[in-house]
Amino acid sequence: MEKRGRGAKAPAVQAPQQPSVMPRKERRPSMFEKEAYAQILRDRLRESIHDVQYVEPPFDDSIADLGKEWKSALAKLKFANSYRMEPLKKFQAHSVETKVQQILTETLQDFKYDDKVFSHLSLELADRILSSVKEFGYHRYKFIIKVLFIQKTGQAINIASRWIWDVAWDSWVSAKHEAETYVALVLVFALYCE
Amino acid sequence: MEEYHLPCDEVGFNADEAHNIVKECIDGVLGGEDYNQNNINQWTASIVEQSLAHLVKLGKAYKYIVTCAVVQRSPYGFHTASSCFWDTTSDGTCTVRWENRTMNCIVNVFAIAIVL
Repeated sequence: MEKRGRGAKAPAVQAPQQPSVMPRKERRPSMFEKEAYAQILRDRLRESIHDVQYVEPPFDDSIADLGKEWKSALAKLKFANSYRMEPLKKFQAHSVETKVQQILTETLQDFKYDDKVFSHLSLELADRILSSVKEFGYHRYKFIIKVLFIQKTGQAINIASRWIWDVAWDSWVSAKHEAETYVALVLVFALYCE
Repeated sequence: MEEYHLPCDEVGFNADEAHNIVKECIDGVLGGEDYNQNNINQWTASIVEQSLAHLVKLGKAYKYIVTCAVVQRSPYGFHTASSCFWDTTSDGTCTVRWENRTMNCIVNVFAIAIVL
């Protein structure tokens, strides 16, 4: 019994000694210390870079000013109130979707992925889809068309969109075309301009 | 009849503010992270939702559409184009590209003015 008692005691004595023997790990600086916060931020973002790709109206504002002069001149004309609260023809997503899908499959029937061709093909396709959507004749609607081409090389891609708009009249349509070497995605947003 | 003057839309879309907001949102969500299949849905959703919430807090009379594409970094080709039919004096867009060691992220903001 005594032996057991001693045996039990020995580890109890050893245990508190251990943490002081182990080298102490450096603690990360707290978020609340001002300089440390900047240091943490720099560490996190050390491997990341970013830039602004495209902006409209352009930052230097020279082209935008022309439009504004015209617009303020127009404001002096007084337009009669039309008393219209809603669009004449509501945006019908299904008919636009079939049309866009048809244009997409027609254009991309036999294309293989090619860098140079695709960079102006994407612009051309966007313009074509825009003019075909305009042909539908939805008055007072503003449109945004987005065309994405992604080469299939085994990487993963995730695309998300959110919006704030008037749920009663605004809507969106998406069309996808998949080929062997790439995937083409078209998003059409229609917004009613009051 | 008085002349109806719209001070905020005269300035047009302020792309500078929008780009700062978006950059901060992306930094906050993806800063220091590596590509992870489990979290990617959550990340894209939170980038987009946070950017939208901050843009709305600016208090301007605009409708916003925010799109985000996050791609794993590898040798791949990616083209994107947009074509818009709107009022160029009051509406605008801003695109921010962000990358780190393991992924690329492209966020697009479209702002359409509401004429009150």
